[in-house]
Amino acid sequence: MRSLLHVWIPRWMRFNLTLAACLCGAALYAAAQNTISIGVVLPTSGREGKPGQYQKEGIELAIKKINDAGGVNVKGKKYQLKEVFYDDGSDSAKSVALTERAMSSDKVTAVIGGYSTALGEAEAVMPDRYQTPWITCGAGATSIFAHGYQYVFGTLSPVSVIGSTTAEFLGGLVDQGKLKKGLKIAMAVENTDHGIDYVNGIQQWIGKHPGYFTVVFNEKFELGSTDFSGLLQKVKSSRADIFLSDAHLQDYIVMHRQYLQSGMHHQMISYGARGPEADARKALGDGVNYIFSGIWWSSKLPYPQVKQFLADYKQFTGRDPDSWYAATAYDALRILAAAITQAGTTDKTKIRDALRKVSLTDSLLPGGVLKFESNGQAGYPFVIVQNQPGGKVELVYPKSAATAAPIAPVP
Amino acid sequence: MTLQDLLDPLIAALLLAGVYAAMSAGMTIVYGVMKIVNLAHAGVMMLGAYFAYELFERFHLDPLISAVLALPVFFAFGMAVHWLLVRWLPRSDQPTLASLLLMFGFWLVLQNVASLIWKNEDRSINTSYTLESWRFGDIAISKVRLAVFIAAVLSIVILQIGLRRSWFGKSIRAVIQNPYAAQIVGVDYDRTARLTFGLGTAFSGFAGVLLSMLYSFSPDFGRPFLLRSFVIIVLGGLESFSGVALGAVVLAMVETWSIQIPGVEASYQPAISYGLLVVVLLVLPKGIAGLLERRWRTG
Repeated sequence: MRSLLHVWIPRWMRFNLTLAACLCGAALYAAAQNTISIGVVLPTSGREGKPGQYQKEGIELAIKKINDAGGVNVKGKKYQLKEVFYDDGSDSAKSVALTERAMSSDKVTAVIGGYSTALGEAEAVMPDRYQTPWITCGAGATSIFAHGYQYVFGTLSPVSVIGSTTAEFLGGLVDQGKLKKGLKIAMAVENTDHGIDYVNGIQQWIGKHPGYFTVVFNEKFELGSTDFSGLLQKVKSSRADIFLSDAHLQDYIVMHRQYLQSGMHHQMISYGARGPEADARKALGDGVNYIFSGIWWSSKLPYPQVKQFLADYKQFTGRDPDSWYAATAYDALRILAAAITQAGTTDKTKIRDALRKVSLTDSLLPGGVLKFESNGQAGYPFVIVQNQPGGKVELVYPKSAATAAPIAPVP
Repeated sequence: MTLQDLLDPLIAALLLAGVYAAMSAGMTIVYGVMKIVNLAHAGVMMLGAYFAYELFERFHLDPLISAVLALPVFFAFGMAVHWLLVRWLPRSDQPTLASLLLMFGFWLVLQNVASLIWKNEDRSINTSYTLESWRFGDIAISKVRLAVFIAAVLSIVILQIGLRRSWFGKSIRAVIQNPYAAQIVGVDYDRTARLTFGLGTAFSGFAGVLLSMLYSFSPDFGRPFLLRSFVIIVLGGLESFSGVALGAVVLAMVETWSIQIPGVEASYQPAISYGLLVVVLLVLPKGIAGLLERRWRTG
């Protein structure tokens, strides 16, 4: 039986169509040979959708800038970077599956992802299995990097350093006479390694500086709780002077709303690395005033590369970056590109080896230099920002980079 | 322990009990008459939250007014859902797998439609009094929580009066007691079921509006409240409306006070709530209302 092709399409057209198909295939093949696929596994929906979206934007901006400049240089040949994006919907099981898919069937050269600690911990089991470099730009718990994984890297400084920096900042306020010595601290932290690291950082500092503070309450809560009134009741009963929580964005908003509704007041209040987010300001208005947070990056850092990033980000997305999320992701992509150049190959193990040695000397992050420690995690200082009246977010610590004096105690 | 340490949790528990009672009433009504475990209850509460949100964002309408408007809107919605889906279920004296699956599937549909319309971002309603509280010495009472409590209690009281005094209410109570005997004395079961489903949905939507004043919401909103509603209606007695109020008070008190015990962390609260469900199912299968009724009968 003659096929439809022979019945309906004249011979000259069949030849031309076949030739066109071959040429297209060859062009696609050639293009693929000149591209490096980077898997990006982040939540852009679900509870962590907003921070995930910001991180995705940071990565895409970095890719655009590199590609616009000609691409990644690999031994004299230029490669365009191509993003292969997966939305894990803030679900850790889905996050693992998508990371596996990226590394196995989609065969990306490397994966960037893992916002937040819970999702990062889930994804972190895949890189060594598929010998594919993985860089998390949103998970900072030390436990992720304590398993001896060989292909796991992270651009966030350890969360325990948020805790110690927070305590250091508060201790500085005591030394300046803004707070009294011997104040009581109540801590309510998320029941994750992130929360545990935060508490450890604070307690380690307090242990080394006796007399400054006493922890009178320390409890954990489950991620995604709808009602914190019972927990806040206990915080209130503890008669603490300072309230420190470690929470992700939605929990911060829910908890602080209920904190304000219950008429609570403390001399200082912090939600860990959460505080200046636009969503929180929108949901809580002036209720977020005076909250301080220890974060991995601030737009107020006085580096020329930060100013350039701010301008580029605004042009790319139409708005200013919200808190630190985009910056750590931007540098994650850049350090990966630098490692590929240094490796001089797209071989994943050689890229991994290069990531262990490479140093990004024009990093946006505090200190201006990004490199990975022996366990794969970056190490750089934190900054403290404080929400101040008038919708302002000021950098209040370290003093050398401060754009305003901290307001302490909370009026 | 000071007086404030006793009063604060007590007030918090009472305010919470009012909300719990309002959110469970809808489910109790539907189960009592139709023996349907309405898993879509969570989805309807979620829609109620978005109903209030849209009215607040577009017309700056206070959610308390939206709650009143939600009643007829969701009543009509419930009647439509009954006509479209529920009336095809076979009648039974016990919950059936078909009804569970149908309402679960309908809940998933509602979630997905909400995701398409509003995406998966958390939303919240921030009125002028959302973050304010009245202070009485060291005791602070949140204005919005008190407003929600008063609205919830009023709705339960009006429902009780309606069930006792109106013809429709008597039909509902008759069908709950014995659907066959109710039909013999002239109650139209199908019409009662349809109106009951509408009423149950109305209360679910109403509860969703109230909850939107207290919590952020997304298309997944309602899941933790659905589970608490189960606990309350089992605790109170599956077919008893006064039991719902009792169950709500008991659950709120247990949740609030149990974590005040030294060594019991706030993160144990869900385990305590659901542990209570297991205990009640084993020890008091007819709930507190059933126990009180038995005691009253035996004197």
